[in-house]
Amino acid sequence: MAKLRNEPKFGRRGFLKGATLAGAAAAMTPPLAATAQTQAPPVWKPTGAQPMNRAAETQVPPHEAQLTTQFTGSDFMVDCFKSLGFDYLPANPGSSFRAIQESIVNYGKNQAPEFLTCTHEEQSVAMAHGYAKIAGKPLINLVHGTVGLQHAAMALYNAYCDRVPLFVVGGNGADATMRRPGVEWIHTAQDAAAITRDFSKWDDYPASLQHFAESTVRAYKIAMTPPMGPVVLMADGSLQEDPIPEEAELMIPKLPRVALPEGDWGAVAETARLLVASEAPVIVADRCARTPEGLARLLELAELLQAPVVDAGARMNFPTRHPLNQSHRGRALIAQADLIVGLDVNDFWGLVHSYRDQLHRTSKLSLKPGCKTITIGSSDLFIKANYQDFQRFADVDLAIAADSETTLAMLIEAVKREIPSDKKDAYAARGQKMAEAHMKGLAQARDDAAVGWDASPISTARLCAELWAQIKGEDWSLVSGDNSVSGWPHRLWTMDKHHHYIGDGGGYGVGYGAPAAVGAGLANRTHGRLTVALQNDGDLMYQPGVLWTAAKHKIPVLFVMHNNRFYFQEVMHLQRMANRHDRDVTTAHVGTEIANPNIQYAKLAESLGVHGEGPITDPSDLAPALQRAIATVKGGAPALVDVVTQGR
Amino acid sequence: MRVRVLACALALAFPLAARAQQQPPAPPVPAGDAAKGKATYVTDGCVECHGGVGQGSRGTGPRLARTQLPLDAFLQQLRQPSFEMPPYEAAVIPDQDAANIYAFLQSLPPPLAGKDIPLLNQ
Repeated sequence: MAKLRNEPKFGRRGFLKGATLAGAAAAMTPPLAATAQTQAPPVWKPTGAQPMNRAAETQVPPHEAQLTTQFTGSDFMVDCFKSLGFDYLPANPGSSFRAIQESIVNYGKNQAPEFLTCTHEEQSVAMAHGYAKIAGKPLINLVHGTVGLQHAAMALYNAYCDRVPLFVVGGNGADATMRRPGVEWIHTAQDAAAITRDFSKWDDYPASLQHFAESTVRAYKIAMTPPMGPVVLMADGSLQEDPIPEEAELMIPKLPRVALPEGDWGAVAETARLLVASEAPVIVADRCARTPEGLARLLELAELLQAPVVDAGARMNFPTRHPLNQSHRGRALIAQADLIVGLDVNDFWGLVHSYRDQLHRTSKLSLKPGCKTITIGSSDLFIKANYQDFQRFADVDLAIAADSETTLAMLIEAVKREIPSDKKDAYAARGQKMAEAHMKGLAQARDDAAVGWDASPISTARLCAELWAQIKGEDWSLVSGDNSVSGWPHRLWTMDKHHHYIGDGGGYGVGYGAPAAVGAGLANRTHGRLTVALQNDGDLMYQPGVLWTAAKHKIPVLFVMHNNRFYFQEVMHLQRMANRHDRDVTTAHVGTEIANPNIQYAKLAESLGVHGEGPITDPSDLAPALQRAIATVKGGAPALVDVVTQGR
Repeated sequence: MRVRVLACALALAFPLAARAQQQPPAPPVPAGDAAKGKATYVTDGCVECHGGVGQGSRGTGPRLARTQLPLDAFLQQLRQPSFEMPPYEAAVIPDQDAANIYAFLQSLPPPLAGKDIPLLNQ
């Protein structure tokens, strides 16, 4: 690899460097520093230096007379990005990356990546989060110096908690003597990526273009190796804007193929033996199925063993209508299990304990004596100290540090080898019991959904049933979490493809939902899928500008508002506190209500260039409104249906 | 299976209901007024976890519409809730108000069976 020789003997900074050195030398010498206010600082002269030519200072040096150049470092940076195959670059513009932005558009022809205009960095980065969960690869984001990265921080944290790859590039200016006076200083930091270091996998601030190229590829590799996560690369302003020296010999390293972390063979074989021998196994999957392959593998494993699967819902892990899907009675199964295998379960402790949030907080182990517990997960390969997303320590019997999706292939083969022929009848009987329990659960879900069927505000069950009727014949993709609508899609819909669900935001930072939906819609657009988001009202108000981005860039997403006019989770918390204190129990709406005035989301959408319907309060009005909105979305544009709903 | 949401599990009170039977009989509770109960149900926060028509919600609180709990077990759960439900002491919701709420819940129309609603059988 050739080394960049980016050190002109007499560059345009030569004089300024000398002046800076003089100041630095003075500061480092206490006696001189003490007298600096009363005496002129001594002129620092290097050994053998020539006297300064004052006449030369009054003339424009030849290199300063040059005002244009054809290629700058930013062009090379864009080539680095192009080498990694980024399709889009959502960003809010910022001067700290002005050269890169111009290079993206003109040098890079605004293709792969294409610049998408965003109204906030939390929006642009959350779009990348949603995109990655559909596409299986990151977008590239540009963020503006200190301010942009601070805006983006929440979205980074969500992706960090959700183990989703992000590739964030920020502008910054290391050389203080090159900064424009005023704002550029304010938008610069000595260690700009420090603010996100606690919740990114890696960051770097390359000092040369070759360094930048290598760090770009390194960052991508790190982001995409499980546990996946965000990386942050700072692009220095001078590196971006300085001409590339003619003698520079730059190269972009190739991205290696990476063998993903697979479980230890002996531990996997032991897991297989225990699974085969178990009479009451439970497989719990959370961030397991990163790709469609993960879903297929989990299905194969479950069917081999006729073992129940509890889908904890951070990914689309298991078909909702499969007889072995027992997610509706996970607690009961876990309490009766003799073996629990957790696949990338973030909170295994919470899975096997009950917890009581009363004045005296208490918890209780839910497992029966002798139950074996095994975890396979990549979180054991990477953990940081400050942010506590890693949950309470899980004292399992066997913890296999590995990517569970990758390890499933090995586990399936091991299970196949271990299954004796005389087990088949027992497995079949277990499968039959599971099938019956599954159908019972489905019938119960339907009965539960019927309660309040005609209510106004509209029940979340009715909302989801009406929506399902409109989309079930399409190639659809639900790109929002569904906990806030009581999980009705998982209970009522047939979800069997990986893109049918992408889970929630990971960090539970409000403001993820709408932009992540647009990012996922961007990825789905390539496949012609109907992208659907159940959009919480409080969440939308964090980043309503993303509706405009969706309209501008023709990203088709159907937003169906779950507009309960509250920050509802907080209502319940406040109620708990008032009750606990034996005080006024009628005040939980104070500070949590998003009403009076009611927000007109359809009008808001229209003002941002998005088709709007509603507010809908009568459930019989839902179907025609959804049909009109879906027609718009199928035509390639976003649409929003505002539905006034029950709390949960 | 998300466990992070609040669970105000009012009707998860069957063990406590059994316990209540072993205690001295509670004083009789006056008959409830469904209209007043509906208002209290909303203002005092029951609606938050159990829904506007007592439909309940996974993770916040079970269905209460036409609850099968007898009134004394209902009161027991209100005062000394099992699991996650916030306690409502008599100073906050007197027995009469609780009886009103109970009457409201019993006054709600019986829901259709899920199998009888075409949209739920797709």
